[in-house]
Amino acid sequence: MKLFAYTSAAILLSMSTGSFAASAFAGKAKAAAVCSQCHGITSPSAEAPFPPLAGRDELYLEKTLKQYRNKTRRSEVMNNIAAGLSDRDINNIAEYYSRLKP
Amino acid sequence: MTIKTTINKSLLAATIPLLLSSASVLAKSGSHDMHKLYEENCASCHGSDHGGYLAPALNSETLKGRSPTALRSVIMTGSFETLMPPFFGRLSDTEIRAMVKHLQSTPKLANPAWNIKEMKKSLKIYVRDESKLPAKPNFKIDSMDDVIGVAARGKYGRGQGSEAVFINSKTHKMIAKVPTNTAAHIIEFNPANERWAYVKTDAAEVYKVDLYTMQAVRSIKTGLNGPAIGVSRDGKYLMVGSFVPHNAVILDADTLEPLKQFELEGIDPDGKMVSSDSGMIIGTPFADIFAIALENAGQVWVIDLKEGFPVTKIKNVGRHLHDAFLSHKGKKLMVASYDDSIVTAIDLETRKIIKKLPAGCVPHVGGGSVVKVDGRTLGFGTNFGTCEDNTVVSVWDLDTMELVKQVPVSGGTESPAAHANAPYVAVDIITKDRRARTIQLIDKKSLEVVKTLDVGGHAYFPEYSADGKYLYVSAGYAGDEVIVYDANTLKKTASIPMESPAGIFSRGRVKYMTRGLSPDEME
Repeated sequence: MKLFAYTSAAILLSMSTGSFAASAFAGKAKAAAVCSQCHGITSPSAEAPFPPLAGRDELYLEKTLKQYRNKTRRSEVMNNIAAGLSDRDINNIAEYYSRLKP
Repeated sequence: MTIKTTINKSLLAATIPLLLSSASVLAKSGSHDMHKLYEENCASCHGSDHGGYLAPALNSETLKGRSPTALRSVIMTGSFETLMPPFFGRLSDTEIRAMVKHLQSTPKLANPAWNIKEMKKSLKIYVRDESKLPAKPNFKIDSMDDVIGVAARGKYGRGQGSEAVFINSKTHKMIAKVPTNTAAHIIEFNPANERWAYVKTDAAEVYKVDLYTMQAVRSIKTGLNGPAIGVSRDGKYLMVGSFVPHNAVILDADTLEPLKQFELEGIDPDGKMVSSDSGMIIGTPFADIFAIALENAGQVWVIDLKEGFPVTKIKNVGRHLHDAFLSHKGKKLMVASYDDSIVTAIDLETRKIIKKLPAGCVPHVGGGSVVKVDGRTLGFGTNFGTCEDNTVVSVWDLDTMELVKQVPVSGGTESPAAHANAPYVAVDIITKDRRARTIQLIDKKSLEVVKTLDVGGHAYFPEYSADGKYLYVSAGYAGDEVIVYDANTLKKTASIPMESPAGIFSRGRVKYMTRGLSPDEME
């Protein structure tokens, strides 16, 4: 019984840390599916008006995406794109792009 | 690459629910200005005549009843999993709204005039005295056959990202980028003089490129849209064809001066007289001729490169022809026919149809592949393959002209790559979901798919290096790199970044004619 309790606590613990730790792998999938359409992976098109994201500060990316999502920062396109992102998505995307070399 | 009829759903599919308001902004621009805006931003993919090209037709008929708000969203964000880029920030909101209105009120335009006179006027000379160019490459390379050219489309199909990128396929290092202004589509190499290459863009411009100094020396605009280009075996002539307008022209390969224009029209297999897009154009080591496929007329014309450029018309080849490849020292021509899903074998010596072969679903053979296995000469043909339960790559015995096998693959395919020294025939899966990230490898002997590579991006247009040791693959759309694999171990060896890479063309092709045949003896 005691063993069971310890085990379930351990499982709970690992699950909760798992959900907070950003996953660059999940971020990569999301970035490929959503962000890269405009921002590219390492760089946007030479002809595009969009800023590059690779190598940007993780906290900055996270904060900005949340602002777009919460509509505290206005952009017709970004408000709508970010509207569908969860906190976890945003953490993952920020983690992924910040680790990329531009 | 060129699909005119099939893919019409992509535009609808990726509509993001973006815009709640649709306050009406009146189009203040005249239709002349709107046409200019269309030409500068849309025409290289959607067709100068609004009739569609590698992207869907955009006119009052095809867009009838479509929501202007949804169309505006697609223009702003682009369409995921396709080449359609986001125009947000590039065009103003007023321009985008006016464009939607313009597209929904403009019918498909009539064939515009673009004749020898217009072509001559468009000839540009960048290097006046070619005799002063150095006699050797100004970079280190073992053999010019090691040059691989990549048609980088650029995300917007034009501008800074549109260029022909040349790579040393032994070191996988980029040699140089040659800007082409609009999306490069095909790169051909001069078989008689290794220094010259020709790049055809989607806006139907032909660039003559000096590979020794990696620069364009001349260019000419031969039409408004269309990828077709071929080089004669003596390297003296080019023949290029257009979708808009319906013409083809023979050029002097040296000066790019137009010599003779052909109006493409003829009686189709159903007895109707039709005006026709230009399908593939091919020169052959077999004779001083060009062969050209008239897409809609279903005919292949053979043009003799002599006084007057006389034409032999081979009729009833198929319904909606597209691309083709050569076999048997360039004497046999295998032509893909979209609508009746056949590949028609033509004998270029007798100029007659040998046989029509079953070819899976909507055959698009790309450059085709021919390999010799256990005494047989096998041809490989890919298929766009959107028909149900029939996604295959066809394998034919080109000696007996019999179907050998239809190899099941995981989706539609666009182009097979093979090399005499490499064990696998590589095909690109283009079905628009996760499968588009992959390349499948068919074992030459067992004729089974033995391996699937997850390349990433939209992986397409595989090509082997001239020595057969490396497999190059474009990871276009959002991937934006060319990835190199070891042809035997299939380990990733290198990555070369570039914007929207598409077709890959090894100079080795002039040696082996069709990919897969021996580079040592023209077979």
